[in-house]
Amino acid sequence: MSIIPTIGMETHVELKTNSKMFCRCHVLDTDIPNESLCPTCLGLPGSLPVPNKKAIEFITLLALSTNCSITNDGMFHRKNYFYPDLPKNYQISQFDLPVGTEGSLEVVVDGEFGTVEIERVHMEEDTGKSTHMGSGRIDSATSTHLDFNRAGIPLVEVVTKPLIKSSREAVAYIEELRQLVIDLGISEGKLEKGNLRFDANISVAHDGDKELGTKVEIKNMNSLRSLEKAIEYEISRQTKMLLNEENIIQETRHWDEKKEVTTSMRSKEGSADYRYFSDPDIPNMILSDDFVNEVKSSIPVLPSQKRTVFIDSGLSIEDANSLVKSPNWIGDLYKSVSSITNDSKTSFNWITGELQGQLRKLELKSIPSWLTAKNLSEIITLVKENKISFTSGKEILGKLIEEELVPEEYAVNNKLIQENDIDEISKMVKDVLDDNKDVLERISNGEDKLIGFLVGQIIKLSKGKVNPSVAKELLLKELNS
Amino acid sequence: MDNHKLPISKINQLFKNKELKPSELYSEVFERAANTESVIHGHLTLFQEENIQKALDADKRYEKGNNIGTLDGIPIAIKDNINISGHATTCSSKMLSNYISPYDATVITRLKNEGVLFTGKTNLDEFAMGSSTENSAYGPTKNPWDSSRVPGGSSGGSAAVVSAGSAVASLGSDTGGSIRQPASFCGVVGFKPTYGTVSRYGLVAFASSLDQIGPITNNVADAKLIFNSMNGHDPLDATSLTESKAQQPKLKNAKIGIIKELMGDGISEDAQQEVHKVAKLMESEGHEVVEVSLPLTKMSISIYYLIAPAECSANLSRFDGVRYGNRVTGNTSSEMMELTRANGFGPEVKKRILLGTYALSAGYYDAYYGQALKARAMMKKEFTDIYNDVDYLISPTTPSDPFKFGEKTDNQLEMYMSDLCTIPANLVGMPAISIPTGLSSQGLPLSVQLMSPANTDNTLLDFSQSLESLVAFSDKPSINGVTN
Amino acid sequence: MADKIDIENVAKLASLKLNEEEKQHLEKDLSMIIDHFAALSEMDLPDDKISIHPLGMHLNLAEDIASKFLTHEQALSNAPESKDGQFVVPPSLD
Repeated sequence: MSIIPTIGMETHVELKTNSKMFCRCHVLDTDIPNESLCPTCLGLPGSLPVPNKKAIEFITLLALSTNCSITNDGMFHRKNYFYPDLPKNYQISQFDLPVGTEGSLEVVVDGEFGTVEIERVHMEEDTGKSTHMGSGRIDSATSTHLDFNRAGIPLVEVVTKPLIKSSREAVAYIEELRQLVIDLGISEGKLEKGNLRFDANISVAHDGDKELGTKVEIKNMNSLRSLEKAIEYEISRQTKMLLNEENIIQETRHWDEKKEVTTSMRSKEGSADYRYFSDPDIPNMILSDDFVNEVKSSIPVLPSQKRTVFIDSGLSIEDANSLVKSPNWIGDLYKSVSSITNDSKTSFNWITGELQGQLRKLELKSIPSWLTAKNLSEIITLVKENKISFTSGKEILGKLIEEELVPEEYAVNNKLIQENDIDEISKMVKDVLDDNKDVLERISNGEDKLIGFLVGQIIKLSKGKVNPSVAKELLLKELNS
Repeated sequence: MDNHKLPISKINQLFKNKELKPSELYSEVFERAANTESVIHGHLTLFQEENIQKALDADKRYEKGNNIGTLDGIPIAIKDNINISGHATTCSSKMLSNYISPYDATVITRLKNEGVLFTGKTNLDEFAMGSSTENSAYGPTKNPWDSSRVPGGSSGGSAAVVSAGSAVASLGSDTGGSIRQPASFCGVVGFKPTYGTVSRYGLVAFASSLDQIGPITNNVADAKLIFNSMNGHDPLDATSLTESKAQQPKLKNAKIGIIKELMGDGISEDAQQEVHKVAKLMESEGHEVVEVSLPLTKMSISIYYLIAPAECSANLSRFDGVRYGNRVTGNTSSEMMELTRANGFGPEVKKRILLGTYALSAGYYDAYYGQALKARAMMKKEFTDIYNDVDYLISPTTPSDPFKFGEKTDNQLEMYMSDLCTIPANLVGMPAISIPTGLSSQGLPLSVQLMSPANTDNTLLDFSQSLESLVAFSDKPSINGVTN
Repeated sequence: MADKIDIENVAKLASLKLNEEEKQHLEKDLSMIIDHFAALSEMDLPDDKISIHPLGMHLNLAEDIASKFLTHEQALSNAPESKDGQFVVPPSLD
């Protein structure tokens, strides 16, 4: 009797607008606390919220890009709860009339396509930041420090339906969503900066059960690695409990990065009563058809569309997906190079393997302006045609990163052009054999390993220019005769 | 000196004709304050020092003949739930006794730009919740007509200082009658504009969908002047109207409806008499007066006491001692918030917060708050329909003349009933004005209330002005034996 | 007669600490007011989508143009306690 896990993801996307959601304070990335504030985002008496038009455009863009239905006559609601980092002790959010509903997102899991169903996309405001001071453990803090710079920044909350089936799918979903918000230009999408934050709701049930199990919310996963590990841990924890017929409590648990376990957060029994009611400071938000159509017409090329183009060019789903998730210049370079070389896989390997590898070693984030599709293609073609060895190709690439050059010219000048002429190589084979009669004897006694030694001698004799595989082939022919 | 009782336009003439200087008027008004405040306690703070210089600056402007406008140099008192930068905004609460505002409300900015002198901040029922100013944490304001009686509320201080002459006019806020009822009790004019015509930015919110700032004045012309210098779209207030087109009611041969439901049980004979008196005067002017029925007005109190507390329960959540306010510390931040709020809020405020929290809580929303919203929408329709038949509506402003201190504090429902006549205008968002028309059998002021459709504010004011001259009520109270 | 009001729960939701006397008083007062609402809650009212605003106003969204309002000092000017430019409160767990 197998146990089936069910996962739902709640993701908050920080929008990169100039000003906050309900006031015109700068959205600042600064170390100075409490630097970008006004009566509204600080929750001073008498202040009022006025929604940010750009934020609404951004969320509509996201909703449309995930095939959501748009709520034309929506509203903002107050979500009431007390917490020091919430200036008004209510968050302006959306309850039953969110901007987008019933959408979906194409994802790639383990090289295959999948679809994650989205329940809703809604607009809300961020809270301030709390720093607990004291010995460092969360339950022995002596005080809490508050910085409200972040309070009021526009957040889009995306909630999936509880239909995700594995940790890999959840990770693939977050990766896709992240790429989408980056490509739409609505968010920086940097996990380490908190531009994208996610919680997972996890439950388990026996295969065939009509109802889902008790759901547990997991918070505090700060990277895709911890997301995957946390989900795995929680599924395993719940599965054990289910098999032991233990009662799983509906609660919020905290992922402990160090111990790699989820732990119960104190208090919070049952679900909170947020007393949602429509915000009387903000009239109904009517999104006209004109508005929606204008946003629709501004949708750029989506990750899924880019992926299709890459797949159509001859790449596997997995490879196409990795290009989509890379910075734009890589995909663009691939497109140009593969159309020149006419070899999608080789172009892909060179760009994502060799080129990115070398850049990483040099701690570079992009290529210099003289490293064009044209000259990269030239290197690739030289190697493909066996004019230079793969190693030489790598060498030329490395040089090209440093300085402008013409690959073929460089190869010639540096005597990298391989000797492919059969007669020339045969001569060298004969020469080497003549000089190594003792080795030849040992090979004929069965020491096949020494064939490599002879190939090495041939390469040495040619000063590295011989094509090793051709040399070996001719050597073997000679040995067998 | 009686210059402070003159219509503002007349004062402005005197200034322009150099028969009076703004600094002289200010001294007059400040002297009145010195003579009356110990009795009535209308102002919580007086801005004496800064006004001396500001008045002198106004003097110079008039001397050179380039005064800003009609309001330049006029001393106006401000209810202490409206923010003025650099000054305390206490909302008459212990919670904010040490709070200094870092910004101006939009109405303040607009009046500042007109050269208005703010006399100081006036007393109110704590956080604008009340009908008598007995709920102030800093002691009540006394009615200038009889210091054993309440001035009304929640803008009791604002109404009292105009009545006593320690300001030429004042600003109040009106959520369920908080401008009109105290104006009536103090024998002065109080005007609540159409919802959305005057910016709420900088007004400490009580009930967001009901609150409006409005003027309390000696006469209707002053109210019109002040209203038009503050009104207009404010991009900082999302509920601020951008357009205000509406069919305007008639000024001549108008039809006025007496609201039947506000002329029977619970309304004193004296108050009803005023309405009949005024009706006769209007008929003599060629207007037609009829009786109309607005059945849902009977539900006003219930609807109001669900919507207002619900909204205020959330509006007052921000008072937690974290970023400002009188903090009472605790072992944890949630304990600190609970203790701060327990200590900072008075009993009426606590009651309304709890009532509102209850009405919104899980399981009760539909039966209470949800119902109230529906009933409110229906009431709005009732009013809109009736305005197809009549141009204006008339009723008493308050069920009775001013009551004595302590008279209603033990009976909350009776206290809430003081707002019976005024609440409907807030619920439907339409303008309403209270005009003093006579004295009760106890020699205390009585008023009538006129209402009109949304966005007909200036027409209502014009119509009221003509009514005012017909009524010709000019009595003023005497304090310390000195008549204002 | 409405259900008995769980005044402790409501006070908890409203983050208000009440003493025993207050609890009793308030429970009584609130029950009285709630009873007054009985007539309203029993009314049969249509279920149309209701705007909270009496005048169904139009929402004007603001242009995304940022500007500075409060200085750092102004923001902290009324803080009951602050340190290193941050507001300080007793520890807020969870």
